[in-house]
Amino acid sequence: MKKERVQTPYIELSKVNRFFGITKALEQIDFQIFSGEVIGLVGPNGAGKSTMMKILTGVLPPTDGKIIVDGTEMKRYTTKEAKEAGIACAYQDLSLCTNLSVYENFAMLNVEHGMFTKPGWRKTAKKETKELLEKYFPNNQIDIMKPVERLTLAERQIVEICKTLMTDNLRVLILDEPTSALSTDKANQLHKVVEELSARGTSVIYISHKLEEILKISDRIVMMRNGKNSGECDPKEIDTVQLVEMLGGSGAAKGKQKINRENAAKGDMAVSVKNYTGKGLYNINLHVHKGEIVGISGLAGSGQTELLNILFEAGRYTGIEKKGVLLNSSVSYVSGDRAREGIFHLWDIFDNIIIGNLDQVKKGWFLNKKKSEELAQSWYDKLKFRAEGIHSPIMSLSGGNQQKALIARGIASGAELIILNDPTAGVDIETKQEIYGLLDEAKRAGKAVVLYSTEDAEIEICDRAYIMHEGEITEELKGEDITVPNIVKASFKDTKHQKKSEEKKESLIHRVMTSRVLLPVTAMIFMILINAAMNPRILSYMGMRMLVSSAVPLVFAALGQMFIVTAGDVDMGNGYSIALVNVLVGIILTGNPLMGIVSLSVFVGAYALMGALIHVRNIPAIVVTLGAQFVWWGIALVIAPSPGGSCPEWLLRLYKFDFPLIPMPIVLCILAGGSCWYILFRAKYGMILRGIGNNPLAVERSGWSYLCAKMVNYVLAGLMVICSGMAYTAVCMGADANSSATYCMMSIATVILGGCEMSGGVVAPVGVVCGGIAMSFITTILTSFRVDSNYQTAVTGLILIVVLAIKLVMHKKEGK
Amino acid sequence: MKKIMTKYAFIWPLLGSIFLWIAISIVSGKFSVGQIFSSAKLCSFALLLALGQMVVVTSGEGAIDLSQQYILTLAAYISCDLMQYNVILGIIAAVAVGAFCGLVNGIVNIYLKVPAMVTTLATGYIIFTIVLVLAPTMKTLPNAGFVDFINLHAGGFSMLTMICMIVAVLLALLLYKTKYGKQLHAVGQKRIAAKYAGIKVNKVVISAFVIGGALCGLSGTLCGAFNGGAFQDMGTTYFLPSIAAAFVGGTAASGGKSNVAGVCLGALMMYLLTTFLNAANLSVGMQRLIQGAVLVLILVASVSDDAKKN
Repeated sequence: MKKERVQTPYIELSKVNRFFGITKALEQIDFQIFSGEVIGLVGPNGAGKSTMMKILTGVLPPTDGKIIVDGTEMKRYTTKEAKEAGIACAYQDLSLCTNLSVYENFAMLNVEHGMFTKPGWRKTAKKETKELLEKYFPNNQIDIMKPVERLTLAERQIVEICKTLMTDNLRVLILDEPTSALSTDKANQLHKVVEELSARGTSVIYISHKLEEILKISDRIVMMRNGKNSGECDPKEIDTVQLVEMLGGSGAAKGKQKINRENAAKGDMAVSVKNYTGKGLYNINLHVHKGEIVGISGLAGSGQTELLNILFEAGRYTGIEKKGVLLNSSVSYVSGDRAREGIFHLWDIFDNIIIGNLDQVKKGWFLNKKKSEELAQSWYDKLKFRAEGIHSPIMSLSGGNQQKALIARGIASGAELIILNDPTAGVDIETKQEIYGLLDEAKRAGKAVVLYSTEDAEIEICDRAYIMHEGEITEELKGEDITVPNIVKASFKDTKHQKKSEEKKESLIHRVMTSRVLLPVTAMIFMILINAAMNPRILSYMGMRMLVSSAVPLVFAALGQMFIVTAGDVDMGNGYSIALVNVLVGIILTGNPLMGIVSLSVFVGAYALMGALIHVRNIPAIVVTLGAQFVWWGIALVIAPSPGGSCPEWLLRLYKFDFPLIPMPIVLCILAGGSCWYILFRAKYGMILRGIGNNPLAVERSGWSYLCAKMVNYVLAGLMVICSGMAYTAVCMGADANSSATYCMMSIATVILGGCEMSGGVVAPVGVVCGGIAMSFITTILTSFRVDSNYQTAVTGLILIVVLAIKLVMHKKEGK
Repeated sequence: MKKIMTKYAFIWPLLGSIFLWIAISIVSGKFSVGQIFSSAKLCSFALLLALGQMVVVTSGEGAIDLSQQYILTLAAYISCDLMQYNVILGIIAAVAVGAFCGLVNGIVNIYLKVPAMVTTLATGYIIFTIVLVLAPTMKTLPNAGFVDFINLHAGGFSMLTMICMIVAVLLALLLYKTKYGKQLHAVGQKRIAAKYAGIKVNKVVISAFVIGGALCGLSGTLCGAFNGGAFQDMGTTYFLPSIAAAFVGGTAASGGKSNVAGVCLGALMMYLLTTFLNAANLSVGMQRLIQGAVLVLILVASVSDDAKKN
């Protein structure tokens, strides 16, 4: 497979340094990429592989050194230049917007950035996506209309890789631990893809800790260590053992290390599970004794993590059997997903270790500093951390060293059952060996260890192993029988349970029942019916006009709030920004239309600025908008110290226009909801607007500006606030800086009732409009029931909580 | 330099306070140390709210308590009403009611999975309604003995300042020296990680709301007595300053980081700002405008770059 070397490399890093303060992440790195070659990049954690990739992709600038693309030295090298040079990277941490559908994630990458695209781009995007997935990963059965959050991890990884493959003019593809969640057959498909790419002249940099893969697919292996080049070799002239040695592993290759299994004298039962079914698991039977290491294996995503969680959560009722799960000991958990489930990023190593062991270092009411430091220091020494001391910040460590801190936390907690969920993911070989040693030590100390690993070879260190497939334990292996071939065989064994037909037919009823707009629409109809029951006249043209008329300001206010919620923020100040618009319209616009328009434009600019500020300084929106609220209020008070002004004639005429058949306020609501829906769900930029509320990094990596999108969200919100303020002026025929403050709370309530998620990215404009109408009808009802106005705020508050509780129940039913 | 600034986040509000003190002195034409002491006394109510807010925010995942101002008002009414029977009973009941409101907030937030901001916004309005309904039936004048007690002075220090200092010291001990404090900061950084580290996350978060609520209750008790009685809008004044103080003082909005000293100084600074705006003889509108703008500017300047790395 060795390709003819072209004279000049396509891309070359020459004598590149990258320092972070005093840490030398990269030192005098030389790295060449020739067209069409597959480079296997290996090295322990903290070797600088990720840093080098970040320099290649332009994410980080080098401290010094040269980057040469196609023979010319680059003066400026940012993500833009890297993209132009055709470098793309499938990131270790999946960079997809999980709220967007699969095809939208693809479209985000390759749709033109211009304002308008010709209609039908969605159709094309869908078709292209489907073809692409099918081409590289046949029989993937991924539904491209599904939002990414509903895919399995392996499916997401496939989507991620394909997304990268879609880069036009792809010249260099970087795959960073691409197979960590993939099953063997999917990994093989990926290797085929790599071969194909290389045949087409695209170079591939393949980073993996799975050395067999590296040996199998690469043309050239490049090794790194401690931020320096540590040699190259030809995969054909080397085997795994040699490679491990060259990487500086402590001699023993994995698989060869024999952990003494002879002391099979079992201790007491630590945990047992009898006939457990649920949470995607079927008929689970297992037992773990003290003094043994029990492995859990099988294809990734076969229910292993769920099983571990059940064991861990049994810790809440130790000694009591519940649903067949009986835990007789204390338990601790070590996660391999460090960033998400493991480390506490603000802390140093010390705090990260002792947090699991606070009872040990307590003295009376307080924590004892000396005791804690002794504990942390002893583990620090034992695990040979590569850091400046126990008080080094955890974020300054490499992944492997962070993992050591987690393992120290788990073992030092003194728990008798230690659960490890893929603890060696992304950890270098040397650290892996140390971890195995620790587990063995824990075992000899009479602890029970449950180890789940995605690396089959790792299970060989266990005394017993349960192999899982589709949520069922298909085989129990013991002692010498635990070998990679046996594990693989058991991983594909048929399961006993009937595989549930996963593809629930998305029947119409089901879709309606799970729709986000169901609740607000029902609420609206319900409210209209109650109102009609009390006063049938409201069903007439005039009645509806009068009733909905007072709802319009709230509908707009809520839509404005929705745009900010889309970005994952919240506007705590829109009550007073509506007041400001009310004053600007009622006093300035009425008196001097030109000045009025200018002031309103400035207002929108201020909203954009606020968005920019929140983004650039990374300050929480809730605080900024709270502060801004006083600015809006202050300006409004300066302009109109006391209520006054009037509504411009044209606005009043527009608002009271006799639209045929449908009353004008309803027309306005429909227009508002429709256009917001169009912007967010049909227009191209809408997917970016929603994307940043979910995964701004992914949006940026696809070449869109986060700042710009956020500002657009705020501008749209500002425009909605203006509409709301205008409607408010038309309703109350004047300006008052103090009367619209309740819109803040009401708009948030409406957004939630309307089916949006406060965490951002998931919104429903139609629902918001219906919710707004429903909310304002509630007030009408309360008034006609002669409910004390004091109670009305409380009712709104209660409705909020009830709505969210209903949502929670519905979510549970959906099985999420 | 930057390191020092991040480590000692209280430097910002301290510098701000000194600056404002000088500004007030220039505007009013006289330098007075008494100004600092009286500000320290008058900022007490916002300070206690800010400390409560800090504890809640530190529990992470966007936790925030927007019902504080209403809890304060409710507590003020209850303490004033019950103190006609017994002073101690009044204090305990007010603090307990505050803690109970916090408990409700925490439970709704955790078990109904309603975002804290929405929960407290909603409960806040409900509490306010309770105040509106109860107010006419309650005695709103404080107990004279208690009023005398909180108006005691020793040197420049008033009893209110002393109470705040004691609360701050106790809170600092709780947050930085005990198991609970460590767990709270862990939970605030990452709740899943905290769960796997064996921490009872729900309990810790709910306790944070309870502590926050209890501090509001205490603040309400003192505030009611100091202002010569409870009234319906009494909490509103302290809303912005307390939130501002909490964040200016070095509380990480994303959770997991708190700073008792910083928040106390932050409250002082916010009070000095109000004093300054009053002294400068500005209209209400201008005062609001400047307060808001200053808050945003301070945040822009003082929020450390830590958050960016996440």
